[in-house]
Amino acid sequence: MQQTPVLQLKNIKKTIKGKEIIKHIDLTLYPSQIFGFLGPNGAGKTTTIRMIVGLIRPTEGSVTICGHSVSRDFVKAMSNVGCIIESPDMYKYLTGMENLLQYAAMNKTIGRQRVHDVVEMVGLQHRINDKISTYSLGMRQRLGIAQALLSRPKLLILDEPTNGLDPAGITEFRNLIRRLAYEEGMTVFVSSHLLLEIEEICDTVSIIKQGTVIKTGAVQELLHEDKIEWQLNDPQKAIALLDEHWNIKAVQLKKNTVSARLGEPSLAEINELLIKEGLELTYCSSKQNTLEDLFLGLTEGDQIV
Amino acid sequence: MYSLIENEVTKMIAKKRLMFVLAILVILISVFAYGQNRTLARTKAQLTQRMGITATTDWHKLAEQQLIDMKGRLDSPYMDAKSQSSLTVKMQQLQYDLDNNINPLDQSAAKFTATFMEQSIFLFLPLLIVILAADMVSGESSSGTIKLLLVRNIPRWKILLSKYLALIILEVVVIFCAFLLSALISGFFFGFGGWMAPVATGFRVLAGKLDASGVFNVPEWQFSLMVYSLAFFVAVVVGSISFMISVLVKSTAASIGIILATLIAGNFISFFLSDWTLTHYLFMVNLRLTDYLSGAVQPVDGMNMLFSVTVLIVWALVSTIVSFVYFTKKDILV
Repeated sequence: MQQTPVLQLKNIKKTIKGKEIIKHIDLTLYPSQIFGFLGPNGAGKTTTIRMIVGLIRPTEGSVTICGHSVSRDFVKAMSNVGCIIESPDMYKYLTGMENLLQYAAMNKTIGRQRVHDVVEMVGLQHRINDKISTYSLGMRQRLGIAQALLSRPKLLILDEPTNGLDPAGITEFRNLIRRLAYEEGMTVFVSSHLLLEIEEICDTVSIIKQGTVIKTGAVQELLHEDKIEWQLNDPQKAIALLDEHWNIKAVQLKKNTVSARLGEPSLAEINELLIKEGLELTYCSSKQNTLEDLFLGLTEGDQIV
Repeated sequence: MYSLIENEVTKMIAKKRLMFVLAILVILISVFAYGQNRTLARTKAQLTQRMGITATTDWHKLAEQQLIDMKGRLDSPYMDAKSQSSLTVKMQQLQYDLDNNINPLDQSAAKFTATFMEQSIFLFLPLLIVILAADMVSGESSSGTIKLLLVRNIPRWKILLSKYLALIILEVVVIFCAFLLSALISGFFFGFGGWMAPVATGFRVLAGKLDASGVFNVPEWQFSLMVYSLAFFVAVVVGSISFMISVLVKSTAASIGIILATLIAGNFISFFLSDWTLTHYLFMVNLRLTDYLSGAVQPVDGMNMLFSVTVLIVWALVSTIVSFVYFTKKDILV
């Protein structure tokens, strides 16, 4: 089924003060999708988000939200977006409710009932009439999410959303995001450097490094490649054998543990050979690749530029 | 648009900025009125002691005596040209008062109200406006809230316009409160009357000299109205310039620092006014508009009410245009 994309980035480039922060980004998001935007510090995650919401202009390329160009039709494009960027900055001298009412007043479609609803959604009803200066980071984060949800956006952009949330808050947050995406059809764009976070809730993920998307795919597919761990008495010999016979690059993890990613040969075939060569195999297990491995593998050894 | 302006005013009140400005006004007016009262009492006492005249009842003689004193000082060889010209102006005014039966020693709430603003218009009033205007935009930049403000489905120029209009509303409130507070507080010292007393205005600068030929009397209330209208105009101009600085600079401290330094520098620069024509076009030296009304002006060729007002309007317009152009184009990186 061909749906209109909720968000489309085409060949985005951004140069700030002669430095190429974003080199090339293409992205397309469809309705009811939870998208993870993953990258190390300084990779250009927040810069990309700023370009999506029109805070900064791309040097090249175009951003389209629900068919409206952000640069040419800002008002229509932004009618479909709710977001938090970096930290949830609120007016400290106002109460939580007053903050929300400020934003509610900027959009005629938001009634008072909606304000109360979002407060309940993020679980702030007991402290909503306190000044922001008394809020903890987690509470401000919740208020930030509430503010983003006010206008029932089609596209919800969350930059580091679980910063400062306690474990219960994180679970609540995940459930909220899933409900918004799968029940209300919202597209959620989550940027994070927390791998677990992305792995837990996202359907699709893009990994960004030095201003370029280096890998995009469904989380399940990216994690599909299995990894095997062996416990045996002579790791060095095993590594040599694996390389010699199947050209598999294995690594020694612990004193007696060797780990490798399998390609063509079956595990049974390999084990048979290892035993035949006189190795004492005590334990063998298949480990699912975590996003962390993938991420670290892809971004290894990078400096912040 | 209306709700956007309401938002801005709400923030300003919640920030307690307006209260702060009003509190400063109350304190300063009280101090000023008390000081004025003391000086007046002492002058009167001194005069009575020295010359045996009662200042309140027999002021004609006193004024004549003052004129003679001034004339004596004017003849002194140690006087430079600048003090001479300003003393001449004072003498001309005193002579005018004498001829037209206006008691220069009379103090009243009405007179105080006008004098207060005349004394405030070039530094104190701008300072109050700076307190309000300087962080309207830079405050949002330094706290990061500007991000959430600019990702709504509202174009940037509308956000900025709502802030600018909110600032004008607050300027009206400040000028109005300054008027009310000074009339009220000084009333306790000098009595609430004096609104119908005549004030001389219509002085002109001709060939480096103050020309009193076109002078006429208006009632004090009308004079005050003129003074406070000019004050509002000055407030809008200073407000627009501070607003621009606030747009251009990210931190509130820097924004307040820049505009204050500029205002204070203006006071130094006015020393060079007669010798250095370029300084005439700075906004800081053109703020003393009320001096053109009361004749307290330091006569400089080519500077008159029309000139100063034009210079200020140009400054305000340019600042506003720069603010809007820059704000709608800039990358928000905070």
